[in-house]
Amino acid sequence: MPDVQTLVNDFVLKLKRRKIEGSQASAKQTAELLRSVVSQQRLPYINQATVLLDAVRAVGEQLIAANPVELAVGNIVRRILHIIREEDLTSTASAMEGLSLSANSDDDDNYEREDHQALSAAAVAAAARSTLRAPSLQTLLEGIPESASAPHPSSSGGDSEGKSKSAERSSRSKKLKHDVIEAINELIQDIETCHEQISEQAVGLIHQNEVILTLGRSRTVKEFLCAANEKKRSFRVFIAEGAPRYLGHVLAKELVAKGLQTTVITDSAVFAMISRVNMVIVGAHAIMANGGVIAPVGINMVALAAQRHAVPFVVVAGSHKLCPLYPHNPEVLLNDFKSPSDLLDFGEFSDCMDFSTSGGSPRLHVVNPAFDFIPSKLVSLFITDTGGHSPSYIYRLIADYYSADDFVVRRRSTS
Amino acid sequence: MWRRSASFVLDKRQLAQASPPHQQILLSSDDMEPNNLPNPNPSTDHGISAYYQTRAEHHAVVTSDWLAQAQAAVTRNAAVPEVLPKIAATGGSRAAGSGKAFSVIDEFNYWRKKPDLAEAVAAIMALAAFIRSSEATTMMELEIELKKASDTLKSWDTTSISLSAGCDLFMRYVTRTSALEYEDFNAAKLRLIERGEKFGEISLKARRTIAMLGQDFVFDGSTILVHGYSRVVLEVLKLAASNRKMFRVLCTEGRPDRTGLRFSNELAQVGVPVKLLIDSAVAYTMDEVDMVFVGADGVVESGGIINMMGTYQIALVAHCMNKPVYVAAESYKFARLYPLDQKDLAPAIRPIEFGVPIPSGVEVERNARDYTPPQYLTLLFTDLGVLTPSVVSDELIQLYL
Repeated sequence: MPDVQTLVNDFVLKLKRRKIEGSQASAKQTAELLRSVVSQQRLPYINQATVLLDAVRAVGEQLIAANPVELAVGNIVRRILHIIREEDLTSTASAMEGLSLSANSDDDDNYEREDHQALSAAAVAAAARSTLRAPSLQTLLEGIPESASAPHPSSSGGDSEGKSKSAERSSRSKKLKHDVIEAINELIQDIETCHEQISEQAVGLIHQNEVILTLGRSRTVKEFLCAANEKKRSFRVFIAEGAPRYLGHVLAKELVAKGLQTTVITDSAVFAMISRVNMVIVGAHAIMANGGVIAPVGINMVALAAQRHAVPFVVVAGSHKLCPLYPHNPEVLLNDFKSPSDLLDFGEFSDCMDFSTSGGSPRLHVVNPAFDFIPSKLVSLFITDTGGHSPSYIYRLIADYYSADDFVVRRRSTS
Repeated sequence: MWRRSASFVLDKRQLAQASPPHQQILLSSDDMEPNNLPNPNPSTDHGISAYYQTRAEHHAVVTSDWLAQAQAAVTRNAAVPEVLPKIAATGGSRAAGSGKAFSVIDEFNYWRKKPDLAEAVAAIMALAAFIRSSEATTMMELEIELKKASDTLKSWDTTSISLSAGCDLFMRYVTRTSALEYEDFNAAKLRLIERGEKFGEISLKARRTIAMLGQDFVFDGSTILVHGYSRVVLEVLKLAASNRKMFRVLCTEGRPDRTGLRFSNELAQVGVPVKLLIDSAVAYTMDEVDMVFVGADGVVESGGIINMMGTYQIALVAHCMNKPVYVAAESYKFARLYPLDQKDLAPAIRPIEFGVPIPSGVEVERNARDYTPPQYLTLLFTDLGVLTPSVVSDELIQLYL
């Protein structure tokens, strides 16, 4: 336990100091950290899933608080909570099946009781399944209030069956943990390979002699363009440099090295060039539940330019960037404000930023936000590792990846 | 009345071909069925919409003018809910031989009179009561009887969307659960009754869920425009206020039943600063508004909503000025309708007083509701979660396909 705690503290510190660059790295490291949390967690015989959920939630809360702007961390925490719920469900369902089977084969005289039990097992499984799924019109009339507590009696239901089951139960306890770790490993694998999955779709989207525009540098975009290039598509790329960090220059260098025809433009030239562009492809920082996108600053302008000239605006992002939250006031709440030194040379402007003049506040202010929010109506298509989706379909992906109970990670511990 | 939509041309033709609706019902059913009462609101062209009448009774500041007009309309059409018991009684005595003195419409009306109960809840309560009184011995029989009852109920007030949505939802539940899970018929029947009667609770819980979800969107210092009296919207705003959010509400007056007056009254009681606007001041004030909050009488398959007259124009203005329009609606208001335009729905007529006598020969638009297409809505707050309009059709398809 203590070494997990030090690992957590290390990671929290890194997140707080913004030492981890990029959603993919944060996502992967979060998943790895939570994997070790799960594997080190001691599990009691009953309510294992609850214990595991609580442990993950406690750590997840710290991580999210450390850097609330890096939404990928929260996404991974929720994904793992969802994984635990799912694994618990499958294991209890299979256990219940085994239970009722063995009961039926045991003896015949108290047949009715077992029949009842089998029925209740099925009902419990159904109820548990419905808690896992997002609420829907279908389940509106079915029993809702009771179902929340349904999974817990199911794991204690084995107790009444007596001593012979205890060995089986302990094996089941190991199995749950094992399954969860297995699933987390798969998740990490998915995060690592998401670029390849996305770039596989490149050939279908980029056509011969097209002009693609992008802004700044995103690894996903780079791999996407390179993949199309490798498949012998010849096309041109316009790169807006992405002030103030000028990562566009880096991307241009990389693409030229791969033999792509590349043009670098200033950010302010986007509107001038957009009429010659066939498609805009950008990366994202996060995709929100309503299909809106949080992306490096400047991309909203590109999106507006694309809309003005009816150019398709495509966002490529791995599924770890899908966030189940709705952006309330995204311009302020989900943004980082970076150091003014990116914009201005402090030596030249130091006298303007003097705090001694005009009542303690300098006359010159510098605002250097890291992100833009792009409303969903400006996005034509999302390319994730599971394929292309329209913005209105994002809710469905989110329903697949997360369970509704986990949207607010903090809720349980405060109340 | 002038109509554009092709579907209405068809409807008109059907109406012209068919005999009056209640006669048709009697033809289609056997004499043993007591629930096929003559429809007290037979044609929506002249009758007052029962749904909006109840709403007015529950929510509006009722003026003497209004009462007089309503009375006049009522005597003109001889379609009064008050005479229902009599009709029901005759229906009951007619059916006394078969030993079934139960009217689903009576039951529905009984529940409908409670101000805190949504119309869909009343419908489901009535259907549950119908199951209780039913003497069917097989699931199939029960389903058929229930189907008849729900059809009667739906045709009784064709203008109420939540009534038909509630009926559809419950019917769907009955057909889906039925004998599959319960081998014993009586157990299944009891289960259905229990679920039906619990629905009131579900509805209240839904309202609380929506309030929880919706209040996140109210941020400090925001100005919210509200149109119409919606219990859900009120609950959202009350919860936001009790969470110490500082916000201001602009209420439209809500002609003709002045729903805004009552809404502002409720809000003022919990200490939220409120400003009343006349309905035509919406565009004038829109620049200081941060978000628009409305309820819905029904959410249709396209993801658009049907709500009190004026919602459409508010949504249009808000869309023009890039303000979000949020809809708070319980999921049992999702209806299987796909209106193509405003005139595609049967109008729900209600009386409108102008204060001065209207010159003869001047027509008055008396429809109580309009249709807001989904592209003007930002998000829907429902008990299923916060949804984009496109999710609505998905939910409906999942349920009814």
